[in-house]
Amino acid sequence: MSHGKEAEMEAPGPGSRASPAKKEYRRDVIIETTAKAMVPLVLLFGMYIIVGTEGTGGGFPGGCILAAGFILYITAFGTEMGRVRIPESWNTFFKSFGLYLYCGAGFLAIIFSLGAAQFLNYSAVWPLANLVGVAVTRGYLLAFMVSVGIGTTVMGAFISQFFDLAWKDEDEEQEQGEKVE
Amino acid sequence: MKTLSLAGLLLVLFLAGIFVYVVEDVPAFGNAKSPANRYIAIFTIEPEGAVESLDAGVVPLEIKTRTEAMGFNRENNFPTLEEGNYVIERNEEDEGWDILIHEGEIFFTEPLKYYHVKEAEGKLTIYRYNWPVRVLEKTEEEAGTLNAVTAGLADYRGYDTMFEETVIFSGAVCVVLLLRKRGRL
Repeated sequence: MSHGKEAEMEAPGPGSRASPAKKEYRRDVIIETTAKAMVPLVLLFGMYIIVGTEGTGGGFPGGCILAAGFILYITAFGTEMGRVRIPESWNTFFKSFGLYLYCGAGFLAIIFSLGAAQFLNYSAVWPLANLVGVAVTRGYLLAFMVSVGIGTTVMGAFISQFFDLAWKDEDEEQEQGEKVE
Repeated sequence: MKTLSLAGLLLVLFLAGIFVYVVEDVPAFGNAKSPANRYIAIFTIEPEGAVESLDAGVVPLEIKTRTEAMGFNRENNFPTLEEGNYVIERNEEDEGWDILIHEGEIFFTEPLKYYHVKEAEGKLTIYRYNWPVRVLEKTEEEAGTLNAVTAGLADYRGYDTMFEETVIFSGAVCVVLLLRKRGRL
């Protein structure tokens, strides 16, 4: 009983702060329109960076830019809408799929050379090498498997971390609100 | 207090002088094809009979024994100058001889440049071919990418990149385990 009395005594302090935080997500026309225009461009730029290993691109910055595009969408439209468009199961899938893709590129070398080559020894990808030559094959493997694998993992990891932090804040606000009531 | 600050001022001036001297003393990197930028000198020998031997395509025994004594041997996983395992080519551009060695790789059977021999001032100097230069020259042929950094990231240091990715993955998994409530997947 005494504990309940203390909670009632403290109630006016956080209550005044929690009541505006409990309100619904407020839509903003300018932010939503800007995000709608920007998100496809940002995603396209991220894919260009991921594939551009011949220049200054690569998997790590490309994955970061893709994640930034999705995070822009989530911040503009709210976590409820973001969870519909970018389901959390997809993030979990992408996170592990990128790592599997990278390791798969390593295992392809072992499988195609029938155990003669080591793990991640890209020079031994024979069926592809018979078509286009060893060096070119390795270049394609580098650009498309390794970088795409890295980018997918980085993207999934960053989006899921953003979701986790956003949900944590929402949960804390909800708990505060329940305590007040 | 005053002596301390004076000592500090003197130290700073001394260090600045050293820096200026070092910057002035660094050789210019103007000519990328000079031997100093492509090869590293390791030792010199007397040229008696060695020049004819090199022209005939045989490495003198002294070069073989001395390189192996320096640590470029089987124990340290370096290819040695065995009979029939190397090729000697006259390098007209640098006015010396290149020693190419078959490394014994399964998928790259071509010999690779390892040593460079040059005759100067009546002595033969043995150079070791610079590893970064080798990477820069051979990247396009070996890795199929125009960008040497990409080849280094994903090809020569593939394991490093794979475990960097694993670090990011495990970081995300740890955040999920720490912050997420049950049933939020």
